[in-house]
Amino acid sequence: MRRCEACSVDIEGYWKTCPLCGESVRGTPVPSPFPDPPLRFSRRRLLKTLFVMSVLAVLASVAIQMVFREWFEGLGHRRFAWLGVITMWLVVLTAVRQRHNVVRGTLYWVVLVWLLAAYWDYFTGWEAWSVTYAIPIVATSALVALLIVTWGTRVEPGEHVVYSALAAVLGLVPAVFLVTGLVSDPWASALCVALSVVTLVVIAAVRGRHVRHEFRKRFDL
Amino acid sequence: MKGDLHTARGRAWVRLDNASNIFLAARSDYDSKVFRFSAEMDREVDQALLQHALDHTYDRYPLYHAVLRRGIFWYYLQDSDLRPVAAEEDLYTCAPIYQPGRRNLLFRVVHHGRRISLEVFHALSDGTGALWFFTDLLEAYATLRATGELPAGNGGDEDESGGEGAGAGARVGNGVDVGVGERAGEGDQPRDRDLTRDSFAEYFFEPTKPLATRGAPPLLERRSWRGVFRPRGTRTPDHRMRVVELAMPSKQVIQLARAEGVSLTAYLTALFFESFRAGGLGNTPTLAASVPVNLRQFFPSTSARNFFATIRLTHTYSTNEGDGERAGEDDFGAVCRSLEAQLRAGANPDALEQKVRRLVRLERNLALRLVPRPVKDAFLRQMSRANNRGLSVAITNLGLVKFPDVAEAQVRRTLLHVAAVRPQFALISQGGVTTISFSSPFVETDHVREFARFLTERGVTVTVAATRVTEGELAEVARAGEHGPAERGPAEVTRAAV
Repeated sequence: MRRCEACSVDIEGYWKTCPLCGESVRGTPVPSPFPDPPLRFSRRRLLKTLFVMSVLAVLASVAIQMVFREWFEGLGHRRFAWLGVITMWLVVLTAVRQRHNVVRGTLYWVVLVWLLAAYWDYFTGWEAWSVTYAIPIVATSALVALLIVTWGTRVEPGEHVVYSALAAVLGLVPAVFLVTGLVSDPWASALCVALSVVTLVVIAAVRGRHVRHEFRKRFDL
Repeated sequence: MKGDLHTARGRAWVRLDNASNIFLAARSDYDSKVFRFSAEMDREVDQALLQHALDHTYDRYPLYHAVLRRGIFWYYLQDSDLRPVAAEEDLYTCAPIYQPGRRNLLFRVVHHGRRISLEVFHALSDGTGALWFFTDLLEAYATLRATGELPAGNGGDEDESGGEGAGAGARVGNGVDVGVGERAGEGDQPRDRDLTRDSFAEYFFEPTKPLATRGAPPLLERRSWRGVFRPRGTRTPDHRMRVVELAMPSKQVIQLARAEGVSLTAYLTALFFESFRAGGLGNTPTLAASVPVNLRQFFPSTSARNFFATIRLTHTYSTNEGDGERAGEDDFGAVCRSLEAQLRAGANPDALEQKVRRLVRLERNLALRLVPRPVKDAFLRQMSRANNRGLSVAITNLGLVKFPDVAEAQVRRTLLHVAAVRPQFALISQGGVTTISFSSPFVETDHVREFARFLTERGVTVTVAATRVTEGELAEVARAGEHGPAERGPAEVTRAAV
């Protein structure tokens, strides 16, 4: 029989490591009293497959409408329903996938909602509501949300500082809209850019050391 | 009356009893509500002999012929012409048996290597009831093996109500345990193997008898379960259960319990609590264990159907390390004694009678009887969920089991696995060996490690057997298989051929 010295127990079956503590075991194995039938299915693989399939379906529907634009002109308001459904679905998937890292998940959300809003605006006659309101407001909200999360919960500075800085950098993007005159109403973009600049300055002043440390670590060649 | 209809007009049937309804409602993908008795024999199991023994035993237990049907208002058990097949084990332990809409038997008999296992859907029978069937099966098998004949005085078509079971039964004594294990040797009494007997109704349904209200908690009270620790972990990939068996000499572990002056149930429950405490309880310092109590020991019954109630044992650990006043209460010995006191208070006829009488009266309430079954199911499921929120673990102690001599000579150890919605263990002692089978819907075994180390540090000799549940663990066996039969035992060789 095999034996785990760490637990001082004898082990039946062909275990290479102790099923209790994971330490390696010694001795001659004896047959296991259980038959070890193969898995019927794997929840992890099932979920992964569902995830990949649904993302592919969403991307395919987006691409088809983009390529064969004129075929879908007749959709009219039904297109809003479709856009609403795929947006909700992608936002939910992102939330589930990134549930263990709220800070990073928020960044994914920002980018996702930006792209969807721009696409939506483009397909429904480009009234520039995405660049004027949706994109800067989403970026501003995300920044505020990250401030609350990082102050209100115990996240290590090293864990969140890079993402917070990235969120602030994303918040500078509406400056491009302001400069190029894409926006019809400048207040949302202006607010977003101002908040991002303040955040970046504060991070550089208070957490500069952490940011440099994290960047060195993550971009280590 | 229903239930006694062995007539030409139709198949015998009986409404499902009080405790069984909850098993159907609370059954889920993770928790099949199946339990398993295993006996490890002295040599490889002979499938033909086992089938012969099974046929013989099956004929004597009409209850086990039953299939489960759904009525408008209740579930019911109905007689069938199905025949059980003793097969090589090809599923994981406690795999689902009852599937709605399928008319199959509510038990299965399988063998693997030297083990014979009986798996039973809990709505059919409880542990004690199933142990009767298992004992008769083992006796028939062992006798066939030893003499080539079926056991004398145990065969054929005897009168079901007769006392022929004398001497042939499992004697379940209280030598190991106080309070939970059986007191009387029911093996000496006649047993009802029919569909008909509902002991809950027999003992607890007296519509005119007033219920004591003083001190009895309301049945559906909203209790606050704040602070109750609930173990969490990674679910297994395909809902199979993680089972870890610890086998040890009974003497050694009983001595440990005696040294603390408590019963084995109280001792091991305290140790179970301690094992979780070692992993950290966070802001939920209360551990609560559900312990089933066999009602046959207080209300003599020969029914093989469900007849038990559960009691709840708790201990709240001090959250403040430096709390000098409470420091003594968290000592292992103090926890043992506290649990022992709770066990004695809960497992007495008066306390149990009140508890069960209320449930039975609820079941017999005409207004509630008129509620359709799916609604009852939903209600019971909610009750079970609410109840689960107040429980950390569950513990089953079947006590000391003694098989008839011919079987006792061939059985090396006996095990009990119970499908689990939360980490739990089931304890059974036989032939000088005590086995503690931990089951859990989670992959993690940290609490078992703490439990085992505690015992080995105190000089107990422990042998471990664990089921493989993760993709990695199962791949390890598959890889071992590629190295050829030299590295494998006979069990794995048979499997490779499948």
